[in-house]
Amino acid sequence: MTLMTESQTSAGQRRGTARRRKPLRSSGYKVFRVIALVAVVLFLIAPLFWMLLASFKTNVDIYDAGKSFLFTPTAENYANVLQRNNYFVFIFNSFWVAFVSTALSLVLGVPAAYAMSRFTMHRSALVVLMARVIPGVSLLVPWYYVFSNLKMVGGFEVLILSHMFVALPLIVYIMMSYFDSLPVELEESAQVDGLTPIGAFRHITLPLSVAGMATAGILAFIFSWNNFMFALVLSGSKTKTLPVAIFDFVSYASIDWGGLMAAATVVTIPIMIIALFTQKYIVSGLTAGATKG
Amino acid sequence: MKRRSVVKYAAVAAALSMGLTACGGGGGGDSKGSDTVRVTLANHVWTEGIKAAIPEFEKSTGLKVELTQLGEDQLSDQYNVKLNAGSDEIDVMMYRPLQEGKAFGKNGYLADLTSKVAEDADWNWKDYQDGPVKASTYEDKVMGVPIITEREVLYYRKDLLKAAGLEVPKTMEELEAAAKKIASADTAGFVARTGKSTAVTQFSSFLYSFGGDFTDASGKSAVGSEEAKKAYAFYGGLIKNYGPKNVSTDMSWPEAMAIFTQGKAAFYTEADSLYKNATDPAKSKVAETVGFAPLPAGPAGSKPYNIPSWGLAINQSSGNQDNAWKFIKWATSKDRTLEAQKAGVPGPRASVWSDPAGTSTYPKDLAAAIAVSAEKGVGHDRPLVITVGKAREIVGEPIVASITGADASAAADQANTAFQKFLDDENK
Amino acid sequence: MSVLTPARTSGQSARSRDNFSAWANRHRKWLFAAPAMIFVGLLIVFPLAWTLYLSLTDSQGSVRAASDFVGFENYLTVLTDTERFWPAVGRTVSFTLVALVCEVVLGMCIALLLWRPFRGEKWVRVAILLPLVATPVAVGMMWRLIFDPNIGFANQLLGLVGIPPQPWLSGQDSALPTTIFMDVWQWTPMVVLILLAGLTSLSEEPDEAARMDGANAFQRFFFVTLPLMMPTVIVAILLRGIDALKTFDILYATKGKGGGSFHEVETLNVYAYGLSFDYNQYGLSSAVLILFFMIIIGSMWLLTMRKKAVSK
Repeated sequence: MTLMTESQTSAGQRRGTARRRKPLRSSGYKVFRVIALVAVVLFLIAPLFWMLLASFKTNVDIYDAGKSFLFTPTAENYANVLQRNNYFVFIFNSFWVAFVSTALSLVLGVPAAYAMSRFTMHRSALVVLMARVIPGVSLLVPWYYVFSNLKMVGGFEVLILSHMFVALPLIVYIMMSYFDSLPVELEESAQVDGLTPIGAFRHITLPLSVAGMATAGILAFIFSWNNFMFALVLSGSKTKTLPVAIFDFVSYASIDWGGLMAAATVVTIPIMIIALFTQKYIVSGLTAGATKG
Repeated sequence: MKRRSVVKYAAVAAALSMGLTACGGGGGGDSKGSDTVRVTLANHVWTEGIKAAIPEFEKSTGLKVELTQLGEDQLSDQYNVKLNAGSDEIDVMMYRPLQEGKAFGKNGYLADLTSKVAEDADWNWKDYQDGPVKASTYEDKVMGVPIITEREVLYYRKDLLKAAGLEVPKTMEELEAAAKKIASADTAGFVARTGKSTAVTQFSSFLYSFGGDFTDASGKSAVGSEEAKKAYAFYGGLIKNYGPKNVSTDMSWPEAMAIFTQGKAAFYTEADSLYKNATDPAKSKVAETVGFAPLPAGPAGSKPYNIPSWGLAINQSSGNQDNAWKFIKWATSKDRTLEAQKAGVPGPRASVWSDPAGTSTYPKDLAAAIAVSAEKGVGHDRPLVITVGKAREIVGEPIVASITGADASAAADQANTAFQKFLDDENK
Repeated sequence: MSVLTPARTSGQSARSRDNFSAWANRHRKWLFAAPAMIFVGLLIVFPLAWTLYLSLTDSQGSVRAASDFVGFENYLTVLTDTERFWPAVGRTVSFTLVALVCEVVLGMCIALLLWRPFRGEKWVRVAILLPLVATPVAVGMMWRLIFDPNIGFANQLLGLVGIPPQPWLSGQDSALPTTIFMDVWQWTPMVVLILLAGLTSLSEEPDEAARMDGANAFQRFFFVTLPLMMPTVIVAILLRGIDALKTFDILYATKGKGGGSFHEVETLNVYAYGLSFDYNQYGLSSAVLILFFMIIIGSMWLLTMRKKAVSK
């Protein structure tokens, strides 16, 4: 019925066949697979681990090849990042911008995706998806020009709008493929029961789409959290977000590698934690539309 | 009931997308005579000092300071968007007079401070060194107040020189001979910036000391002159012959400084304002053994640059210029300049340099080197043009060519043609 | 899910609400779709029109400064510029192509490894997710430290196996491959997830039949699985391709404006950014952006056509 159950059923089938096949597998392949998987995991994790290690080193230790793995850890970098550089403010800013822009994008995007899916409005969908294609550099100066004339700069508004611009196409894209996979019959029978089409959407389709909306919302949140280019020029003193704040550790007269790595870790950790807890939604979102012919 | 909520839902969505202007109004806002001064500063030791002292300013004036702090490049990106749009979101701005001053002046981004600086004899604009003042002036109008100055000095390793039985080089020839003698498999004789654009400023002092400049008296390109060619060949040759093995041609100061502070080079020419990177034991392995000397003399003498790397200016579109000026006056006062200088930020005020307290925290040899350099210094370290970024890339090309062992003279001729074309385009 | 009775209110307002409701239901298609479209439209149309306009002027220094209409001169300048523009096109294309090929090939291999269930699957999936969600500028900074020629871990690692230190990001020839490596590290996981979803939804019968016919694993993959997977592979390329063409964050974080001394990682996006914010040549920059936009749309269109052809 929904994407989730769909993938569960296919996973079930998959397990069945896999079990049936296992005896055919050579043990050579098994060993190869274990080694290959370990290599893949190492390749993906090692750099992040190195960043984490460096964030606990003093700058002198970072410069010392002899202390790659054996060193006296220090929390100084984190104290520096969180206390002296007010990172809690930036964490809040990042969170707030991501949260509001995601919520508003869902409000705009979900009905739009629904209409575009049900009425197969592919050309209209292209208009929204255009936002994903256009190079961001061409938007910065015009946006700022307009918004500053509207007296909208300096606060969160512009930043949120620009992040919605990132989130909306994502949400529309994911939700469209989600609604495509929801059978129309349910709504039709609800309408036979007396609901208006909008009522059917509100009372039948939306409750069934919670998983899809979670997927789209989480991904939009992540993309907004990670966005750098728009935040770089559109954020002000009170609205600076984390990706821009990272550059605080690259100053004119010195690079504070320890602080930089601690800052990079602080930026990355929250979003990773969110990702871990919402893993299955992210996966189904990233793969939305992938399996449709 | 439920149905109405759908309608409301759609209406909110419609209102949001169409009535964007309605929800605005926050933040930016009108600043006519506002009590809040919005200050944008770059990450710098100077900024750290000011930040800590701001409450003092707020208390004495009753004004509020709203501080934005950004990295050097991010700052310039923001200016290019915000000032371009004529935003009044910024009152006081920290900028690089030599990098952006001319462009910002031409675009009318900066307020004319000529009458303001003359107002207060106590604050004393005359106290400012000539080089930095000239660099902060555009078409005879004062556009900014310098806050941080720098000169090129020679960083060297006392221990290595002693071991080799060498004196501190006083001329470029002696520098080359010393570098040659010390250079070994794991220690380079000499290191300096190598990046096409980033090396230009540090190369400039060599250029002047060899008797050249980027442009001649009539404003024509001069990077193809005999003097310039010799300077290119010398600077590049030092790095090619006595520099680190497999030297990268994309080193800015962090990379070059790292080589020096790791104890892998004997000589290093760099801006004096970066000296703490070499003397701070937390960052440098050679903190105990680093020495400083004035730039060795070339055929035309020792002519390092003496420039304001940063200054404070007022946004022309700001509606709060008087209060902005109050902030600048406070931040550049003698006391604050002295404080900053003690914290390791060389300032632009002559009186602070002549005050013993002004150099009390500096290594003695560095203070002496700075004094000499400030006296003979040239007021620019890069071509004085509008699009500095592009000009640097053009005149930096022969540096890289020379480092990689290509024909520096031919590269200089090529750069000369390109630079002349660039100047013609710019003055069209 | 019972049928809802409208709330009982006074006749007139109920009627007007019913009228409105009927109207809303009749026009729900556009009532739903329009807000999002208008939002995106408003935020796109003006900048795009402005960029188009600027691209036809000699706007320089400040967009508010007076500028002259110069027709297609900027496009001519850009299209005949073999020093910056075409190399940037070349870098953009090679960055995208090499990254995509690596990501799809590696992604396919990893997806095949993950295809059948195994113990510890959960942990491998976590490892796959982490690079994917990590903030690109933070990742850029991380790689800057790892690839630092003097203090970086990459050279330490090479030293262990006796390979001399490499310049990585600071080398003229090695910078672009190094940034491609970063892109591959971060985005192969996304390709893996997409391909894995495709593999999972494949029907077992064709594979089974091929096995009965005595096909070995490689034959089954190349002649059975891969053809069936083509639509999914193209979706992955499409999604990844747009982002790869537009890569900016890691290039900016590792090499700054201009893409290094020799512009060695200067792609079209970085070039346009530098033209705008370093050189302040808004006319030229706009021409580059319009051409870049056309290149992106063109390649998307080609891929979509290809996808349709494959799906048939």
